[in-house]
Amino acid sequence: MRIENHPILNFERGEKVTFFYNGKEIEGYTNETIVDALHAAGIRKLGTSPELHRPRGLFCAIGNCSSCFMTVDGQANMRVCVIKCREGMKVEEQHGRGVVRYD
Amino acid sequence: MGKNYDAIIIGGGIVGCSVAFELATRGMKNILIIERKYATSGNTGKCGAGIRQQWGSELNATLAYESTNIFEHLEEYTGYNHSCGLNQTGYLLIACNDAEWRQFQANIPVQHKIGIKSYTVDLEKDIFKIVPHINTDGLVGAVYCHEDGSADPFHCTLAYMQGAKRLGVEVMTYATVTELAAEGGRIKGVRTTNGDFNAPLVINCANQWAAALSAQVGDEIPIVPERHQAVITEPVAPMGYDNGAMPMVMSWQRRFFCQQTLHGSFIMGEIEAVPTTASDANWDYLESNCHTITTTLPALRSLRVLRHWAGHFDMSPDHTPIISFSKNAEGLLTICGFSGHGFMIAPRTAVMVARKICGESDTIDINKFRVERFKSGDLLLEPMAL
Repeated sequence: MRIENHPILNFERGEKVTFFYNGKEIEGYTNETIVDALHAAGIRKLGTSPELHRPRGLFCAIGNCSSCFMTVDGQANMRVCVIKCREGMKVEEQHGRGVVRYD
Repeated sequence: MGKNYDAIIIGGGIVGCSVAFELATRGMKNILIIERKYATSGNTGKCGAGIRQQWGSELNATLAYESTNIFEHLEEYTGYNHSCGLNQTGYLLIACNDAEWRQFQANIPVQHKIGIKSYTVDLEKDIFKIVPHINTDGLVGAVYCHEDGSADPFHCTLAYMQGAKRLGVEVMTYATVTELAAEGGRIKGVRTTNGDFNAPLVINCANQWAAALSAQVGDEIPIVPERHQAVITEPVAPMGYDNGAMPMVMSWQRRFFCQQTLHGSFIMGEIEAVPTTASDANWDYLESNCHTITTTLPALRSLRVLRHWAGHFDMSPDHTPIISFSKNAEGLLTICGFSGHGFMIAPRTAVMVARKICGESDTIDINKFRVERFKSGDLLLEPMAL
C-alpha cells in the first residue's frame, strides 16, 4: 500500500522500474528505497536473525540498525531501507550471516 | 597500617588473575588482587586474542603449547559456567622473503620436539584448503598449525578471577597502587588510593606500568610500552575452507595479522609498532592496514570496519617475559615484559610462578626468566615475537 495523496507532502516517485525479490518480479520507483517497494508489495519479513533464526523486518528504517540487511546484487549485508530501486536489481533474503562472494 | 594478607597481586589482567587462581588452588589463603579499574580493563581487554604455539624458542613454544592444553579445558579447570570461546582454527604464517622462510623452517624441528603439530604448506594447492581466497603473489612459503587459534580474553580472565574468588581470593577494583612499602630490604605491603595493605609477598603483574612500580624499590625492569592497533569488521558467514571460520593469517614483512572469530567478524592488527605510551588509534594505520590486508586477502575488501582501537605490548629486550624476584626488596616478584604474547602463555606461566612460590618442582626453570639475564647476557631471544 502506498499513500497517493497527502495533505502536505508531494511524492516525486520517479520512474517505474522492475526488480527481483527472491527471483520474483516487484515494481518500484527510482526515487523510492527497496524496502518501500517491498512494503508496498506486502512483504514485511526481510530475513532471519543469525542465532535464533527469528524473522527480521524494518526496525529503524533510516540506515542506523542492521535489521533490514539483505543481499543486493550479490553484495551481503546491504541496508535496503536506504538503497534506491534500480531496474533489474536482484534483492535476496538473508538467512543468518551474510555470505561474502569471491572469485 | 591496614589489613594483613599473605600475598598481594597488583593487576587484574589475565596474568594477575591466573597467578591468584594457581596460588589459591595450591592452598594459599588471604590473597588480594588490586586492580586499577576492573578485570581486563588494561591491555588484556585490548589484545588480539590469538593463541599461537608456533614460536621460535623452545621456552616460549613450551609455554604456549602447555598453555593451549589448559585453554582447551579452561572452563572445567576454573569451574566457569560460560564458554571461554576457544576457537582452534589454526595459524597460517606466510613468509614473504627468504630470511622469514628460513626462520619458519628452522622453527619446525623445535616445535615438533615439544609436540606442536606445525607443518609447511604447499603454495600451489594445500594453502587453498586452509584459506581458499588467499592471494599467493609474493609469497615464498607458509607454515600452519591447526591447534592454534583464539579465545575470549574477557571470559578467560573472568574464569580465572571467579575461580580464584571461590577459593577465597579477595578482589579490590577501582583502587590504584601508589607505592610499594619496603623496609630493611623486605617488602612490607602496598599503599593504594583505597588504603594500605600489608603482605610479605607482593606480585607485580601491572604490565606496562610494572616497571615504574618496581623502580620504587630500586629494581630496573627494562620494558618499553609499544602501541599496537587493531580493527574489527562486521560479522559475515565463515570464510575459511569447508565452511569454517578463516584461520589466522600472519605476515611479518607485511606487518599484519587477520583472523575470523566464531562470531563471524574479522580481527586484524599490527605487527612491529613504534614504542610510545600514546593510546590513540589513528587514520593512517587504518588506511595502510586495510590496504595490506586486502592485497593478501582480496575477498575481505567489501567488509565494513566496526571498531578500531589501540593497546600496548610491554616489550622486553629479548621479547621473552621477565619473571624476577627483587634483589632490593625480598618478597617482591615482578612478572611483566610479555612482549605481546602474555595472553596466550599466561596459563602455564601462572602454574610456573605458583609452583615456585609453593616450593614445588617444575619442568621449566623459572630462574631463566630473571631480569639479571640482561646483565649476564643469558638472553632468551625470541625470533617470532610481534
